[in-house]
Amino acid sequence: MNIDWKNYKPILIPAIKDLHKIDVYEKNGGYKALKKVLSGKSKMTPEEVVNEVKDANIRGRGGAGFNAGLKWSFMPKPDGGPRYLACNGDESEPGTFKDRKIFEYNPHSFIEGAIIAAYAMQIQTIYVYIRGEYRDFIDMMDVAISDAYKKGYLGKDILKSGFSVDMYTHMGAGAYICGEESSLMNSLEGKRGYPRVKPPFPAQKGLWGRPTTINNIETLANVPLVINNGAKWFKGIGAETHPGPVLYGISGHVNRPGVYEYPTGMLLTDLINEVAGGVPGGKKVKAVVPGGSSTPPLRGDSLDGVRMDADSLREAGSMMGTAGICVVDETVDMVDFTWRISGFYHHESCGQCTPCRDGTGWLEKTLDKIRRGDGEMRDIDLLYEICTKMEGRTICALADAAAWPVRYALDRFREDFEARCKKTVYALA
Amino acid sequence: MAEIIIDDKKFEFEEVGKVLQFILDNGMDLPFFCYHPSLSIPANCRQCFIEAGQMVKDRESGEYELDEDGNPVIRWFPKLMTACSLDMADGMVIKTHVTSEKVKVAQADTLELILINHPLDCPICDQAGECPLQIQTYKYGPEGSRFEHKKVHKPKRIQLGPRVILDAERCINCTRCVRFTDEVSKTHQLSIVSRGDKNYPITAEGQVFDDPYSLNTVDICPVGALTSADFRFKARVWEMNQTPSIDVTNGKGVNIDLWTRDNLVMRITPRFNKEVNDHWMPDIGREAYRLFNENRVSKPIIKLDGDQVRSSWNNAFMTVSEKISSVKSDEILLIGSPYASLEDNYAFQNWFNRLGVSDVYFTPHIEKGYGDDLLLVDDHAPNTNGCKALGFKEVDAKKMAKLLSDESYKAVFILGDDLLSRVDIDDSALESKYLVSFATNHTETTKKSDLVIPITSSAEHIGSYINVDERIQRTIPAKETMYTNRKLDLEMSMGRLDHFGTKFDNWVSDKNRVDCIPAWEVLVRIGNEMNLEFNFASPQDVLEDITDKIPALENVSYDRMDKENGIALKLSAPKSVTT
Repeated sequence: MNIDWKNYKPILIPAIKDLHKIDVYEKNGGYKALKKVLSGKSKMTPEEVVNEVKDANIRGRGGAGFNAGLKWSFMPKPDGGPRYLACNGDESEPGTFKDRKIFEYNPHSFIEGAIIAAYAMQIQTIYVYIRGEYRDFIDMMDVAISDAYKKGYLGKDILKSGFSVDMYTHMGAGAYICGEESSLMNSLEGKRGYPRVKPPFPAQKGLWGRPTTINNIETLANVPLVINNGAKWFKGIGAETHPGPVLYGISGHVNRPGVYEYPTGMLLTDLINEVAGGVPGGKKVKAVVPGGSSTPPLRGDSLDGVRMDADSLREAGSMMGTAGICVVDETVDMVDFTWRISGFYHHESCGQCTPCRDGTGWLEKTLDKIRRGDGEMRDIDLLYEICTKMEGRTICALADAAAWPVRYALDRFREDFEARCKKTVYALA
Repeated sequence: MAEIIIDDKKFEFEEVGKVLQFILDNGMDLPFFCYHPSLSIPANCRQCFIEAGQMVKDRESGEYELDEDGNPVIRWFPKLMTACSLDMADGMVIKTHVTSEKVKVAQADTLELILINHPLDCPICDQAGECPLQIQTYKYGPEGSRFEHKKVHKPKRIQLGPRVILDAERCINCTRCVRFTDEVSKTHQLSIVSRGDKNYPITAEGQVFDDPYSLNTVDICPVGALTSADFRFKARVWEMNQTPSIDVTNGKGVNIDLWTRDNLVMRITPRFNKEVNDHWMPDIGREAYRLFNENRVSKPIIKLDGDQVRSSWNNAFMTVSEKISSVKSDEILLIGSPYASLEDNYAFQNWFNRLGVSDVYFTPHIEKGYGDDLLLVDDHAPNTNGCKALGFKEVDAKKMAKLLSDESYKAVFILGDDLLSRVDIDDSALESKYLVSFATNHTETTKKSDLVIPITSSAEHIGSYINVDERIQRTIPAKETMYTNRKLDLEMSMGRLDHFGTKFDNWVSDKNRVDCIPAWEVLVRIGNEMNLEFNFASPQDVLEDITDKIPALENVSYDRMDKENGIALKLSAPKSVTT
């Protein structure tokens, strides 16, 4: 597979001045997809839209990488009652900062995608859940939404098709866990952001007990591209099993950190060394976290041939996640790095399930002990055991997200941990 | 019928419920904390882990597929499942800690995690002895902890409300209390605050946890995080005897347990009865424990020259019999009581019937608007329907005042009821009458009585009460009087101490015994004095006599009440009973 990324022209966030303004967006082909779906000869039925998106295989950009169209098809047939689309813009995973670019530079592509999604699933209400720290972007979104209302893309009888939908923004209050889809729903309902027990799944019983679909912002921004150009075209971009454009958020020890739009399936080495300009001072890459802090870190010396798509990363022993790539150079001790990530999950555990509530704290405190130089070899075994106690034993995936970085850091950078533990000196009596 | 296999044993079931409840219903054990049968299921403690699988059915034949060895093919769930939230299904296979090492390890793991931030202050914790966390740690937990860091510190000794105190460090975040205020009492006063291992339940800032059902959260708290402000530090669980009984402060007839030590009732907790009160009881009913201990009438009291003085039983009996012989039968006014048991009321009626007095009056104690949607009803008295079943004449407070001031009555007998506090009547109107009251506690009525005969309370005798829903339930003696003996009375509870206590245990104590006799027995003894043919030997005899005479109470017996948790009656317009 060879990707001609050097000649790739951004399509999610094209380089057009003032694209966030609705007039500019319309001039550049905006809301064409919505018109295509809702009116004229090309008018599509909801099923046709679902099938087209399913066929395009847009894999969820929020972390799980599930086929968006397939998710839409899980919604039961309309029974006359309310149905909801919740758009997840909570983006609180450390190392992830891509949705903000859509809010800032191309909000209407997302709004258009969400309206099409709502039409495909016969939904009348869209909630856009945005993390509270994005205060400015929430204001910008509100402007964009009211513009869309004025132009008649939102509200009653859109484009005289008889289809109506409303869109509201909702501000998060600073909890990482509210990015988990079921606690996002609780948060939207005004409840404490505790994840819900599944089943029932959101498509059966979601917001206020009604059928609900939750999609990531970037996922929905891809939808107009699919409608405009067809599933076949979309599938031709990037990796075969994980197609489409992706916003790579590159951070850490690189010369040019930032958000870059490229197709999926990019070589990690290309992204680090060429796109992001390599590691400052020509230092070696020690570790790379490929998709947000919860994905297992990869060793810097095992990056050859690893591509940014679900299959290649699974083979390498990690995950695509949110494509928030964090590069760590050789000066960093992985004990410190792991401790910092562990601290984040300790702070953000909602406290509902026992293994996560108490396990995250235990992990952080044990790592802190090693970090301070008081570690013993048995602490490494203990860390593994705590991970085992947590993984797969909670309602949501936060316990896994907290345990994996530790487990894989121990697996792949054991020498760092051992070096710290062996330094400890004990009194014999 | 649908089948489920649990630990290699086959069970049949009809209704699809949750696996955990089914396991408990069938007498097996599985540790859990957050699950409560009367609340929603959050599955957050992660303690009731099991392995679950489904036997694979051949689509065409409908038979279970077998492997080469002839065993059914089982498709296991990839992860451990929580039994509390797992729906049962036909052909499901469950492995608990009995057969699965994986489950055993997982249960111990969860306990180790729960305990790392738990203060382990059992020696000074009120919950010790009846603490699910303590019990399950002994049964399923790890032997020690490998946690060697500082525990999380949280607020302690927080007075949440007038009756409940919070120790947040002990909390294991099962959210039972929060769910209780959300789903049962619906006051929504408690909520979990903060995040992760720092979270704990508390009221909104400035709000007081004054839920009229707040003490139920203390009962359902699986640790000592919520404790009763009143009961705290008063008694250890293992020092008390637990006796099933009935709440006598409200017409609902909530099923309760009386916890006694040294012949004092230390606390009252609800006892499960699906038909009456589920797992709950109002706080007000729990405060009634004082009625059994404090302000009791002990030894008869007689008025001499305007002063009330203590008297002997013989003197009291003689006085009653003399008084009765000195008045005509139509000069006697009889007032029964919705607070007294069916047996006492019946004996009272029956005894005076023999003397030719046929009418018994009573005044219900009903306060409009006192009740709520949950367990409190407008009727304050536990046995209003019992009085009605016996054909007592129901009169309101005004009419009762008229009766009491009627000059034609020379002697008034009041049974176990603080009637005069409810009836507006001048003291002068009573002066010309001889007032005899049978009472458990000192009240307005006893103050004005010429003779007070102390009778047993519901904590000391066997008695039946018919609640507002026409359900007959009974009490069992929980504490000794001067004349009863715990070891000799087989009806008295058989708690841990009754079985295993020694004579050095302080529960076998002569302290705090009240000098009182059941009302029916008092009447038997006075009857002997007067040569009346009135020979009941036990409350059982009284009840048998009642069931013979009143058709609505046919087939009612203590055995049935015990076995069926009370019997629902059909009291159709009762006729006056003549005996």
